[in-house]
Amino acid sequence: MDDVVLARGLVKSYGPHEALRGLDLVVPAGEVHGFLGPNGAGKSTTLRALLGLLRLDGGSATVLGLDPWRDAVRIHRRLAYVPGDVTLWPDLSGGEMVDLLLRMRGVDPAQAARDQLLERFDLDPTKKGRAYSRGNRQKVALVAALAAEVELLLLDEPTAGLDPLMEQVFRECVRERVAGGTTVLLSSHILSEVEQLADRVTIINAGRVVETGTLAELRYLHRTRVEATTIRPVSLDGLEGVHDVSVRADTVSCMVDPASLTPLLSRLTDAGTSALTCAPPSLEDLFLDAYRSPSGADR
Amino acid sequence: MTDRHRGARLLLARDLRVDLRLLVLWIGALSLLVLASAVSIETLYPDAKDRIQAAAGLNNSPATVALYGPIIDESSVGELAMTKLTVLYAFIVALLLMVVVRRHTRGEEESGRTELVVATAVGRSAPLTAALMLGALVSSVTGLLAAVIDVGGGLPVTGSFLFGASWAGIGLVATGLTAVACQLSASSRACAGIASASLGVLYLVRAVADVSIGWLGWLTPFGWGTRLQAWHEPRWWVLGLYAALAGVLALAAYALRERRDLGSGLWPARPGRATGSPRLGGATGLVWRLDRAALGWWTLAVAAMGTLFGLIAPGVEDMLDSDAGRRIIEQIGGTGKLEDAMLAAVIAVSAVTVTCFGLMVVVRAANDERDGRAELLMSGPTSRWTAFLAATLTALGAVVWLLVVVGITMGLGAGRGPWTLVPAALAQAPAVAVVVAAAAGLWSLRVTWAAAGWGIVVFCLVLEAVGGLLELPDWVLGVSPYAHVPAIPVESADPVGAAVLVAIAVGLLVAAAGRFRSRDLG
Repeated sequence: MDDVVLARGLVKSYGPHEALRGLDLVVPAGEVHGFLGPNGAGKSTTLRALLGLLRLDGGSATVLGLDPWRDAVRIHRRLAYVPGDVTLWPDLSGGEMVDLLLRMRGVDPAQAARDQLLERFDLDPTKKGRAYSRGNRQKVALVAALAAEVELLLLDEPTAGLDPLMEQVFRECVRERVAGGTTVLLSSHILSEVEQLADRVTIINAGRVVETGTLAELRYLHRTRVEATTIRPVSLDGLEGVHDVSVRADTVSCMVDPASLTPLLSRLTDAGTSALTCAPPSLEDLFLDAYRSPSGADR
Repeated sequence: MTDRHRGARLLLARDLRVDLRLLVLWIGALSLLVLASAVSIETLYPDAKDRIQAAAGLNNSPATVALYGPIIDESSVGELAMTKLTVLYAFIVALLLMVVVRRHTRGEEESGRTELVVATAVGRSAPLTAALMLGALVSSVTGLLAAVIDVGGGLPVTGSFLFGASWAGIGLVATGLTAVACQLSASSRACAGIASASLGVLYLVRAVADVSIGWLGWLTPFGWGTRLQAWHEPRWWVLGLYAALAGVLALAAYALRERRDLGSGLWPARPGRATGSPRLGGATGLVWRLDRAALGWWTLAVAAMGTLFGLIAPGVEDMLDSDAGRRIIEQIGGTGKLEDAMLAAVIAVSAVTVTCFGLMVVVRAANDERDGRAELLMSGPTSRWTAFLAATLTALGAVVWLLVVVGITMGLGAGRGPWTLVPAALAQAPAVAVVVAAAAGLWSLRVTWAAAGWGIVVFCLVLEAVGGLLELPDWVLGVSPYAHVPAIPVESADPVGAAVLVAIAVGLLVAAAGRFRSRDLG
């Protein structure tokens, strides 16, 4: 079994709203796969379908070689999931919650890395569910998911609400798990988080895949965002490979293909440049592009 | 309106919209009870002699006095017609207000929505003010409707309005009491416990007062309903007691609100366990962990209720051995020997009460799904089947346990030995199981429908209370599963009927579990 997650043509509708419209997703074993998309793109729906919490209207999916709907329990024994919006029982303490989730997967909390993780995430396990902040609720689910070895981690925007220090801890923990052979499907709308962890990414929008591949392969990621303030007005007319040009007063910004970077820079130099920033494209650029694409236009 | 209360009217409108269905159902059921009692009195007791005899019969029995309160003017049609409603059903009015007020104060606060609301240009106390205004509105409407229906049913006008006012008064007091209770703990469930336990104690104090220590009755609002003397030489000033107590409670709630932070209770939250108990290791363990405290309190309450009912039952025979008295007992559901009839009747009341615990467990489990907690649960190797059955079977097990407690305590109270009434109580289990299974069925159809399970109980309760009075046909009465339970010890056990009810419950459960497995979660 090579592909831990293999999904073809997933379709899921909620009444008239089509959440998934033929989505494909392949995650080979041992990979950290980034699953990117704007809010409402269908990331959580996909993860829930892979967990067998939802019934698909079309397409086929296997998780760990099994059918997520029929074999949900067998699959769940081998994976851990962190939902995007963690809700806890108001009257259960964080420690009780973590232990419950571990025991339900057949893991003895005393044998798991529970205490060490509680310390690393700086989480007080004696607080009741209602008293936790959003970030701390997230930590409860993260500790429960990361404390035992599993074959697959399904993480739905796992760092939402975490501070940068805790994001760092999270990344370390995931890396440790990956070193142990765990496959990770990491959904997010934050490119930097995915960039640091993921081997490959799938970008979706409006229930369809926009792009998939390694970060280096993605065509958008080759481009550079250039913003320059020039002394004399500059014209970018006639330059190949320059996209999304916008000119405001004496400042020009655009996205540039690698081959066109030299010609662009020479034009800027000719016009006299007083300020220049070059940056890798942000996910926002990708999403903006995806929104403009036909698949996003009818939303 | 000062800054502290700014936005309360806006919140009131929202609260009303949220509660509309609940209020229509609950107030509608109460109004129907008032209507049935008001119009049936002439049919039940055609002439004054019958009525006086019936009233005297009721007054002579400590059991009925403890349950319903005394009848002050034995010749009054209105007082006899409203005797159950003045005290016992006033408790249902109080419960309605408790549910409504808690939802919009502590319930909203625990869910975090209050934070969102008071961060806007809405005053800190506005949610409390809105809940109090809603409570006042609901109390007034319930009371007014009761009064108007009584007048329409041919009862004296002054008495009708005073009776309605006593319901409104109880509603106002319950509103204030719940508002105070909701300031005490950060836990919404704990607040519900505090409020309902307080109401229960106040009701018990009233029962004790009416049976023996009369002056105690002035200390509890449930005692004021009869002491108001709505139907004969009314004491108008008693209405002031309701208003004063409600006002004091409301002011106390405001004062307490000012002394605590949003989201916390006045009682500091105790830290929880750092580790989970090994018993908390699966779906069943979780249901048990979440509901065991409530079950403990329910066991105590049910035991107290059973003992009280048992204690007062033996006295019935001598005191109520008259035609009219027998008729009253028949009216509350029993036939035959009076003591047995009394016991059978209160066992039936207990069964409906106990059903509520089963429904609580099922609705709580459904709310876990609605709020997304079940997603975390079922991303583990817990099958839908297991999760569903854990909740429903725990509910059924708890219900059977509570019925056994009712049987034992009632038997002990009545001096008949602990096990004599257990079969009678357990005979109710199949009917209770059908209602709980039906609620589980609603949950399996759609997560938000689970709460409609409460509608089933209310429906059965109203049908039972109203059906006989309105002389509804048997097939209509037969819709309620409780109607098919034999009134043991008066009637003999009915194994076939019980088997049919059990089969229906099992069928409902299996179908519900199948449906729950095949639908989307959440």
